[in-house]
Amino acid sequence: MLSMNWLRLLALLLWTSPHVFLGILAVVSWKRRLYREFPVFFAYILCEIAGFVLLVALYSNPGAGKQYAYAYSAMLLLSIVLRFGVIDEVSKDLFRESQFLKLAARRSLQGVTGLLLMIGVLLAVYAPGGSGARLTAGIFVVDRGAAMVQCGLLLALLLFSRFFGLSWRRPAFGIALGLGILTSVDLAFSALRAEFSSGVWTEFLNFLVIGAYLICVLIWIGYLLAPEVGPASVTVIPRDEVEIWNREFRQFLKH
Amino acid sequence: MEQGVSTISQALISQTMISQSLISQSLIAAWTLVAVAFFALAILVYAAIRSRSRRVDLEKAVETFRSLDIEAFRNLVDSAEEAFLRDNLTPRKFREIKRQRAWAALIYAWEAGLAATALAKVGQSAQRSSDPEIAATGLQVAESAFRLRLQTIGACFHLLTEVVLPGVRSRSLPPLVDQYERTAETLFRLGRFSSGMHRLVRSKGA
Repeated sequence: MLSMNWLRLLALLLWTSPHVFLGILAVVSWKRRLYREFPVFFAYILCEIAGFVLLVALYSNPGAGKQYAYAYSAMLLLSIVLRFGVIDEVSKDLFRESQFLKLAARRSLQGVTGLLLMIGVLLAVYAPGGSGARLTAGIFVVDRGAAMVQCGLLLALLLFSRFFGLSWRRPAFGIALGLGILTSVDLAFSALRAEFSSGVWTEFLNFLVIGAYLICVLIWIGYLLAPEVGPASVTVIPRDEVEIWNREFRQFLKH
Repeated sequence: MEQGVSTISQALISQTMISQSLISQSLIAAWTLVAVAFFALAILVYAAIRSRSRRVDLEKAVETFRSLDIEAFRNLVDSAEEAFLRDNLTPRKFREIKRQRAWAALIYAWEAGLAATALAKVGQSAQRSSDPEIAATGLQVAESAFRLRLQTIGACFHLLTEVVLPGVRSRSLPPLVDQYERTAETLFRLGRFSSGMHRLVRSKGA
């Protein structure tokens, strides 16, 4: 009995604490005027807080079980849409300095998105995860597909940055990292949740997800509070060899 | 009657088998996704650690770039040289030599790609300089390095085809490179990639 109470208390604490930190994050973003650079991310934070308040209000009302399920589903869908917006925002920030990369990367990212969407749809068709109530099962399948696409997109961004030697700005990297961890944990969770819907499993998975969420919020706060690394000192040297290689490769490929 | 019962039981068995196979398919998909998620998580953690601890020696990167012998590369991919070898060697020997030449050129292209990545970092670092001249040069170096990086990939695919199929004479452009060429040409016309880059920028720290 005592352990059950402790468990409930821990669950409540885990559920509440990320949203308290999200509130701090919102204040930090506001004070540092990061909402100008990352407006969708700011909207995402506010939406998560508002969703939490709404869900707590419905949760505390014993007769509002159905409303809670609908509100949860609606908030989850809104959150998925906003996360796509955040990824777009982060990618724009990553390619901000190069006109050439904006064009090349946009095409490549479109290709990656198309491929991931196709895999997501195939998964939804061939592994629908039929256990549980229909609405819940459907929502988890959508969540799983979206988490896969988002996680894949964020990994693609990381690969692009490494491939081209792009330097991330600290806040953008922090946002991408936190969101990447969140979506990968979400992917694992929704995949398992679609298969195992028994009470013990659900409780355990919920703990894991909320724990991961807490870590992500702390990562966001850490990266948004950390000062941006200043530019390195540079000196000039007088040769232009990149162009020679460019010309040589172009000639070779035209040949 | 007995036949009817046996038909129903057979149908039930096959239905059970189908549902079992669907469940196992679903389970396999779920655990595969969990594995993918953990793999993604590992990459993210690695990227986070690397972004904190990495110190790139850009001076060394510029030196590496300079050490790449453009003349040797030019020689390795020279079509006249290839025609000469084709005319004077037996087909078997020619394929062997061509494969070796293509492999060597592939290593050059790969190294040039890595050097381009490092130079892109130099360019971006210079872009943030308070000196407008250095910042402008940095932008050009970075753009040029990005283009070079993409071209090296096209060249690597091209050369890999030659390593695998040394006897094939025709060399068609990969679509990616084709696309790149069109984009680069457009931007060139706009004057963005005019050959006004007279200086490389060297940075002392990441």
